[in-house]
Amino acid sequence: MAMDGPTAMPTEGLLSLMQWLSPGFPVSAYAYSHGLETAMAAGEVNDATSLASWIDAVLHAGAGRNDAILLCRAMAGDDAAMLSEWAEALAGSAERWEETRAQGAAMARTLTGMGVPGVPDAPYPISLGVAARALDLPAETVAGLMLHAFAANLVSAGVRFIPLGQSAGQTVLAGLHGTVQTVAKDAAQADLEDLGGAAFGADLAAMAHEVQEVRLFRT
Amino acid sequence: MFDVVSPSPHLQRVHGRAAVAFAGGRLTDLAQAGAAKAMLPKMHGRAPEVVFLNTAGGITGGDRLSYALDLGAGDRAVGTTQTAERAYRSAGGVGRVDTRLSLGAGAVLHWLPQELILFDGAALSRDLHVEMAPDATLVMLETLIMGRAAMGETLAKLHLRDRRVVRRGDRLAMLEAVRINDADLAHCSPAGLAGARAVASLTMIAPDAMDRRDALRQALPKDGGVRAAASAWGGRLTARFVAHDAYALRLAVARAIPVLTGQPLPRVWQI
Repeated sequence: MAMDGPTAMPTEGLLSLMQWLSPGFPVSAYAYSHGLETAMAAGEVNDATSLASWIDAVLHAGAGRNDAILLCRAMAGDDAAMLSEWAEALAGSAERWEETRAQGAAMARTLTGMGVPGVPDAPYPISLGVAARALDLPAETVAGLMLHAFAANLVSAGVRFIPLGQSAGQTVLAGLHGTVQTVAKDAAQADLEDLGGAAFGADLAAMAHEVQEVRLFRT
Repeated sequence: MFDVVSPSPHLQRVHGRAAVAFAGGRLTDLAQAGAAKAMLPKMHGRAPEVVFLNTAGGITGGDRLSYALDLGAGDRAVGTTQTAERAYRSAGGVGRVDTRLSLGAGAVLHWLPQELILFDGAALSRDLHVEMAPDATLVMLETLIMGRAAMGETLAKLHLRDRRVVRRGDRLAMLEAVRINDADLAHCSPAGLAGARAVASLTMIAPDAMDRRDALRQALPKDGGVRAAASAWGGRLTARFVAHDAYALRLAVARAIPVLTGQPLPRVWQI
């Protein structure tokens, strides 16, 4: 029987990746809103349409695309310490840096505790990228699923805070699949010179979050 | 007749290079070629002010300009531009501007160029590269204006790559890379420009930079037409500004700069 037809089992690598990116994996992703909380508190993001628009811009012109590029470079074998330096220099604010640093540290700690060798304590996309080298998956696939998990986490923050109905939230996420695919494909071919973006509103919100009086999220 | 397409005023490609260096408190190099100039007005006791100028009056596709300002150990200077730089519609190709700054041990550089105004159809790639000693002090500003709202200009087409890279000792201290395409102008996402047409980023990198965060926040507008916020991390303090109106943004930036520099604005800035 052919193993690569529609009935083929998911690979061990794909199953591992699904586990690492699941909301249950202990990196506390749910605690971070990436500045979205500030935009929601200000009323700039207040329904499904504005939530989708916010996440779409963060994916294609903000940290989504940049993290995907860092991930792909880490998977391609670039030095993790060098990439970590780039990630810190690129982080848009103190909380943004903490968001990627703390989640990367938690990922390295958990995977090391599971017996996965060689995962560095590095910013999140770099820890993930180094760990994913052994999964035998294309970088585009790993980047796409990482971006999907990132988007899903922001949708979840929106559903809880705005609030939105569960179906409305999942419809927003489904509507972002095209952007996730486009950005993942772009990132897999990009190099460090291509880092950058135009998420001016999101970068401002991430800074403003530091002085927001009521905060449910860490970022 | 007026409906005849007029030739581009920039068919001739513009090239220019201006480089200034100080060492031991003295000007040691002033090199100028092509359209790029550097002027050093008398400062009467204040730190030297180096005023760069593009005599071509703007940049378009295929132009190539480079600027350099080097400070030796303990040197102080202010770097700025004579006027706002203008990036005009490209008839083909990408204009390039490369700026290199260096700061020796204990040097203090306030890099405060005036705005970059981007016109519809502009295609520009800018690279600002700074090498600084770990104990040097850098204050730097970059302001982008997308069209002049007062003139009724709206931008639909733009290709901008604007990278600012700072190396401090042997570490990368800052990487800020603005990439704006047509789609970014069209999108009305609150995470993007959301219709705003003026943005600025003001950064200080210095041993005491992070201590100034609260003072800088005090100097930022709290409401009105300019949104601004500041954060400090990794030895760096950065404030960002976003506004619909370029002049309101300029005023807000002008109030924030002296908190970091402890000095009045460069004299060519006319506020």
